[in-house]
Amino acid sequence: MTSAHVVTPAPGTVPSLHKDVEGPPFRRLLVANRGEIAVRILRACRELGIETVAVYSDADAEAAHVRMADVAVRIGPAPAAESYLRSDRILAAADETRAEAIHPGYGFLSERASFAAAVEDAGLVWVGPPAGVIQAVGDKLAARRLAAAAGVAVVPGTLQPAPVDAEAAVGSLAEASRVGYPLLVKAAAGGGGRGMRRVERAGDLVAALVAGSAEAAAAFGDGAVYVEREVRPARHVEVQLIGERDGRIVALGERDCSIQRRHQKLVEEGPAPGLDPERRRELHAMAVQVAQAAGLHNAATAEFLLDADGRFWFLEVNTRLQVEHGVTELVADVDLVREQIRLAAGRPFSREAVDAAVKAPEPERHAIEVRLSAEDPSRAFAPTPGRIGRWVMPSGPGVRVDTAARAGEIVTADYDPLLAKLLVVAADRGRAIDRLRRALDEVEVTGLQTTLPFHHFVARHPGFRDGELSTDWVAENWDPDADRARALAVAAHVAASVAATAPPTEVSLRKDTREPDRGGWARSGRRGGVDRWPDR
Amino acid sequence: MAGPLTALRVRPTPASALPGDAPVVIEPDAAGPNRDADAGARQATTRGVVLGSARRSAGIAVLEVVVDGWRFELEVEPATRAALRERAARTQAGARGAGPQEVRAMIPGRIVSVSVERGDPVLAGQPLFVLEAMKMQNEVRAPRDGSVASIAAEPGQTVELGDVLLVLR
Repeated sequence: MTSAHVVTPAPGTVPSLHKDVEGPPFRRLLVANRGEIAVRILRACRELGIETVAVYSDADAEAAHVRMADVAVRIGPAPAAESYLRSDRILAAADETRAEAIHPGYGFLSERASFAAAVEDAGLVWVGPPAGVIQAVGDKLAARRLAAAAGVAVVPGTLQPAPVDAEAAVGSLAEASRVGYPLLVKAAAGGGGRGMRRVERAGDLVAALVAGSAEAAAAFGDGAVYVEREVRPARHVEVQLIGERDGRIVALGERDCSIQRRHQKLVEEGPAPGLDPERRRELHAMAVQVAQAAGLHNAATAEFLLDADGRFWFLEVNTRLQVEHGVTELVADVDLVREQIRLAAGRPFSREAVDAAVKAPEPERHAIEVRLSAEDPSRAFAPTPGRIGRWVMPSGPGVRVDTAARAGEIVTADYDPLLAKLLVVAADRGRAIDRLRRALDEVEVTGLQTTLPFHHFVARHPGFRDGELSTDWVAENWDPDADRARALAVAAHVAASVAATAPPTEVSLRKDTREPDRGGWARSGRRGGVDRWPDR
Repeated sequence: MAGPLTALRVRPTPASALPGDAPVVIEPDAAGPNRDADAGARQATTRGVVLGSARRSAGIAVLEVVVDGWRFELEVEPATRAALRERAARTQAGARGAGPQEVRAMIPGRIVSVSVERGDPVLAGQPLFVLEAMKMQNEVRAPRDGSVASIAAEPGQTVELGDVLLVLR
C-alpha cells in the first residue's frame, strides 16, 4: 500500500481480498435478491475475492445490498413482479455486467426451474441445484415418489394426483379411507400452505379436493392435488445437505423449525432437541438417500415430520439456501454460502465441510435463530410496514445478526416483512436460551411493531426450555393480551413521567420523526439517562 | 421513577390501540409498576424500555414508548383537561347512542374497591372501581353519563383483561 487515498475501483479492477492458493471460484457474481440474504451472499463473495453485482428495484435504490456491491443494476419498479421476479431483466443485468454466476438467495426466483435453466442456457453458472433437480423435486408428488422408491418413509398418503371431479370421487374416497382422517389435501406444486385443505371426514373430501385444486391452479398454474395423512402432533425437522458435482452428498446437521404460524417459521434451532446420535444418524441417512435419488448437488434441505412416536416421515426437499441456514453454520462452523459458490464452480467440499459432516451426528454446540419481522403479534402477525426509527441490534459473545435494515429505513409492503435474523450459539441448549434472552433484551426498535414480544415470550417459556416443541406450539401457547397489557401499564407510566419531567412543547418537539436522535426532550433525556428512560 | 406533578391521563392513540385498551390515570405520586417483582429496596430497572418519537397533536403530547418489544403511541394530557375536553365533545354529540354499555377490565388484576351501587346515577369520568395490577392502582371510570344497570365485580375479586365489570344504562 503506497496511497492513503480511498479510491473506487472501476468494475473489473477490484483488488482481491482473497489469498487462497486456489483463487476465487468466479471473477464476478450477480446476486438476484435483496434484503438480508443479498447482504449475506455479498459478504461471502467479498471474503472469497469475487466481484459482486447487485440488482435492485426503485424501492431499494439506497438499500444495504446496493451499497455493499461493487456494481448495482436497476431492474424495475418496486413490485416484485416488475423487478425481482423479472428473470429477463436479471439475465440482461448479468450480461451487461459480464457476471459469470448468479446466486438466487431464497424466495423470488430461487426455486423456479425455468429461471435456473435460462441461466444455464445463457452460459452462466447457477449457484444451486441444477434446473432438472429443481423441476424434479419441486413437484411434491414427484418428490414423494422418489423418496418412497428410495426406501424412505414418506408421510402416508397418495403418490399420484387425486381425481377431483365428482365421478372419480369414489376412487378418491377409497384411497382417502386407506390414508385415514383427518387428512390434508395438498397442492403438488404447493408452498406456504396454498392449495392446502384439512379434511376431517369423508363427506367433506370431494369439496376440499375441488377447492384445493382450484386454489393451486390459480396460485401455481398447476391444479394437481394429493392426499396426505395429517401427522399431529408433529415436529418439523429438516436436514441441511450439500453435494459435489460428482455426486458425493453429505448431511451437515438438522434443524428443528417446529415453532411456526400458518407454515411460516418463527424460531429455528439446531441440533433438534431430544435426538440421540443414533436417531440423528438415521435421520441424516434418510435425507442423503432422498438427495441421492434426486441427483442433487450444491445445497438443499430435506424436510421431515417427527411424530409423537419418534418416527421420521419425509415431507419435501427445498432446493435453495434456507432462511435459517445460519443455524447450521453456527453449529457446524461452516460457511454454507461459501460452500455453495465453491461447489457451483466444480470444487470439492471444503475441509471444514467434511469435518462438519463427520461431527454432524454428535454436535458440540447449540444455535437458535429468531426471525424479527415487521409484524404485529397482537394482531395475528399482520404486517406492519412503516419507517424504522431507532435500530439497535444485540452483539457480544455468541450473537450473530443478519440484517439489511437501518435506522430511518422504510419497510415497504412490497416484500417479505423479515427485518433481521437474530442468532445465538452456545455450548448447549440451556445456555443458548440464556444467551437468546440476553440478546433479545438488547434489541431496540422503534417506529414500527415487530415480532420481538413473541420472541421474548418463547425465550422465557418453561415449555420451550424443556424442549416441548410442536407445530401447534404457537396456537397452544401464544396469548398476547396479558403480556401486552402489562407492557402498556409500564409504558403509560413512562410516558407520564416523560411528559411530567420534560413537558413537550410545540417548540422542543421534533416535527420529523425520521430523525429519531435529534432535538427536544429526547436529546436532553438521553444525555442524562443514556438512551434509557432515566431513573432520576 | 419520578411521577407527574398533576394527574395525567395516558391512552394509546387510535392507531396503536386494541379493543379493550382503556385510558390510565397516573396520579402525581405514582411510583409506577415495578419491573422487577423481587426488587425490594433496589431501584427498578428500565431494561426493555425504549423511547421513540415525540410529537404534539391538538395540544396532546404523543409519545412513542416500546416496552419488551410492544410498541405504543401514547397520548398524554392532564386528566382534568381530558375530562373537560371529552365532556364538551359528548355534549356536542348529544344523547345519541343511549343503549346499555359494558364497562370492561382494561388490564388483568384485582378489584380493590367498588364506589357505586346498582341504580346509582353516574357522570362521565366518575370513578367506578379501583383495579390493582402490578402494584399499580387504576381507576375504572364511567365512559359516559348514565345509571348503573348491574355490577359484575366485587372487592377482592380477580378479573381478566376484557371481563365485564359493570353495565351502564
